Amino acid sequence: MQWKVKGPALVALGASLSLALAGCAGGATGTTSSAPATSAGPVTMTFWHNSTTGDGKKYWEDTVAAYTKEHPNVTINIQAIQNEDMDGKLQTALNSGDDPTIFMARGGGKLADVVAADQVLDITDKISPEVKTALGDGIFSAFTVDGKIYGMPTSVLPGGIYYSKDLFAKAGITATPTTFEELNAAVDKLKAAGIAPIALGGKDAWPAAHWYYFMALRDCSKDVMDKAAAEKDFSDPCWLKAGEDLKAFADTEPFNKGYLTTSAQQGAGSSAGMIANHKAAMELMGAWNPGVIADLTPDKKALPDLGWFPFPAVSGGAGDPTAMMGGSDGFACRKNAPAECVDFLNFIASKANQEGYATAFKTLPANKDAKSVVTDPALQDVLASYDKAAYVMLWLDTMYGQNVGNALNGGVVNMLAGKGQPADIVAAVKSAAAKG
Amino acid sequence: MSESVTALPQRSSRSGSGRGAAKAAPRSDRARADWRKRFEIAILAGPAIAIFLAFVIFPVFMAAYYGFFKWKGFGAPTNFVGFQNYVTIFTDQNFLDALAHNGFILVMSLVMQGPAAVAFALLLNQNIRGRSLIRVLIFVPYVISEVIVGTGWSLMLQYQGALNDLLHNLGLGFLASDWIADPNVAIWTLMVIISWKYIGFAVILMLAGMQGIPDELYEAAAIDGASYWQIQRWITLPLLGPTIRVWAFLSIIGSLQLFDLVYIIWGQYVASTAGTSTMATYMVREGRLAGNYGYGNAVAVVIFVISLVIALTYQRFVLRRDTAGALTEKSDRKAA
Repeated sequence: MQWKVKGPALVALGASLSLALAGCAGGATGTTSSAPATSAGPVTMTFWHNSTTGDGKKYWEDTVAAYTKEHPNVTINIQAIQNEDMDGKLQTALNSGDDPTIFMARGGGKLADVVAADQVLDITDKISPEVKTALGDGIFSAFTVDGKIYGMPTSVLPGGIYYSKDLFAKAGITATPTTFEELNAAVDKLKAAGIAPIALGGKDAWPAAHWYYFMALRDCSKDVMDKAAAEKDFSDPCWLKAGEDLKAFADTEPFNKGYLTTSAQQGAGSSAGMIANHKAAMELMGAWNPGVIADLTPDKKALPDLGWFPFPAVSGGAGDPTAMMGGSDGFACRKNAPAECVDFLNFIASKANQEGYATAFKTLPANKDAKSVVTDPALQDVLASYDKAAYVMLWLDTMYGQNVGNALNGGVVNMLAGKGQPADIVAAVKSAAAKG
Repeated sequence: MSESVTALPQRSSRSGSGRGAAKAAPRSDRARADWRKRFEIAILAGPAIAIFLAFVIFPVFMAAYYGFFKWKGFGAPTNFVGFQNYVTIFTDQNFLDALAHNGFILVMSLVMQGPAAVAFALLLNQNIRGRSLIRVLIFVPYVISEVIVGTGWSLMLQYQGALNDLLHNLGLGFLASDWIADPNVAIWTLMVIISWKYIGFAVILMLAGMQGIPDELYEAAAIDGASYWQIQRWITLPLLGPTIRVWAFLSIIGSLQLFDLVYIIWGQYVASTAGTSTMATYMVREGRLAGNYGYGNAVAVVIFVISLVIALTYQRFVLRRDTAGALTEKSDRKAA
């Protein structure tokens, strides 16, 4: 038991040792960093992604092979890194001025930290016009810091409520809820039918925080949310109203019993597992959920009766009821990367590669032309709403940074457990500013 | 003894009885011997010292350095804030709560595990049937990895887990509780798991301590007509003192640094809600998860200083008589 808390110290040591060794070199891995266009000289790049198994891993191997076949002078070393290890390793590697050349990025506040440390390449003028048109301007906003684009999105992951059509039918619910009044009615019907209405992975906290995010999306106008991102100002009353609305909803006990000890994605007892095994009817999640649920069904196949509807409208909310919230996975190039790096990003954003990506990852592609490969009925519903959305906000923890996200996670869990009030959520966000 | 020392003049330069022989040797020989001795020390201790400096001392100083910055972990820290991080730590209710939880765990570990461990050791020191089986059963939890223990308990203690199911099936459904998430229950759940996990270690230590007590004392007491309980009270317990004090020291350090069980059973956020957060889980949450690496380093320094002060105080006032001779000068030693 003793002497276990060495992790951060070792990370600090690792970071500092490599800093010292590299002397803040930050040198380019390739040889053509100064060349404006791709050249024929040999170029070696390292590529970090987070798909360590299955179709995703194979997709990246195939895609890199296809690229290097077209560009024989380029060598790309792929490193698949466990998702949970990604942030720490990336930090150390970037600080050491070493690899990777191409790395996974989720945009928002974290990308802004990397930008602030001047470790990532500005690709604003290097994105090919075809890619820019095919992806559309909106989606780049996740990877834009101070008007400059630093990353290439590969997927859109908007959130909403996944539900079991069979369980809804069993409880006698005929139409998906569009307002909270209808959602409350549906919750009552499900309870009466002996079905846990909503699965919530409270142990991981972020699924609980997502309920607050979506309440804020409905309660706060776009301007207020954008202003909060720019000024870290959460004084608008809508932030408090979002907490009050969530508390009022939580007081009707719509979540599965013991949701504070339920994890989001691990095993049949997790919230996704409860949907997969018809133990609960609804779950608020991002577009990765059909893939996660498919892994947890008894036969490991996609849940046939899985449906999706957008987060219901809140009465008196200032946000547009069609607005959506979600994240976006993407990739970035390190500072001083060779021109081939951006070339590769353009390559993976092309229609053909995006179709392969959407199929391999069972998700929605960033490239609009590649959407035809989406066959999952729930994802098609997501796509339909996404195309009609008035605007799409980033997950609040992505947009406002990990620090604020961390405070929201804690504040929302506290409130749901009855240990805090809606006002405490806002207070926690404000006090988080003192730490970062 | 002294004869054998005289036979090895080179190694006896400091021992009284060999002094004559050493004096006879030429000065250069002695210098060479000194040099050799130093070389030997350097070779044997060097790698360990180098690793200790690089992986323990150096990180401590780096953490202290980073603790003075607001730093997101990317690039070199630039935003120097002096002691502001430390002010924030000691005004953050979440940290003070975590500190209180650590204190509670520290005291309760001693109170719950100490007497139980001595009792188990007394029992297992008897010639009873199935003694080795009981020993194994008590020691097994200590050997299992914290991650496995944590995952297992968290699955059993979930609201819809095995324990509540069992209670319902026994007709004791009214006892069912949210063992992990209920703030009134959670810390006691943690204490039970900690005791179950670490008592085996304490029992093994106590047993080893009892093996070191000479049989003659028991025989003498028995001849004098002392009862079983009198013997345990006046012979076993006092002579077990050094073992108990060392065990308490290890338990205190472990309680202060408790992290893995809490982190796995309660997850990253619920620990603080349920009232089981520790300084270490606070550090990970506010440092790593929040991406505030400067602040996290400051928390690490605070944990380090608190642990160091408590450890040194304990050594100075409690462990002193046990470690006399090993850590302090020999003259302090008294016959036990």
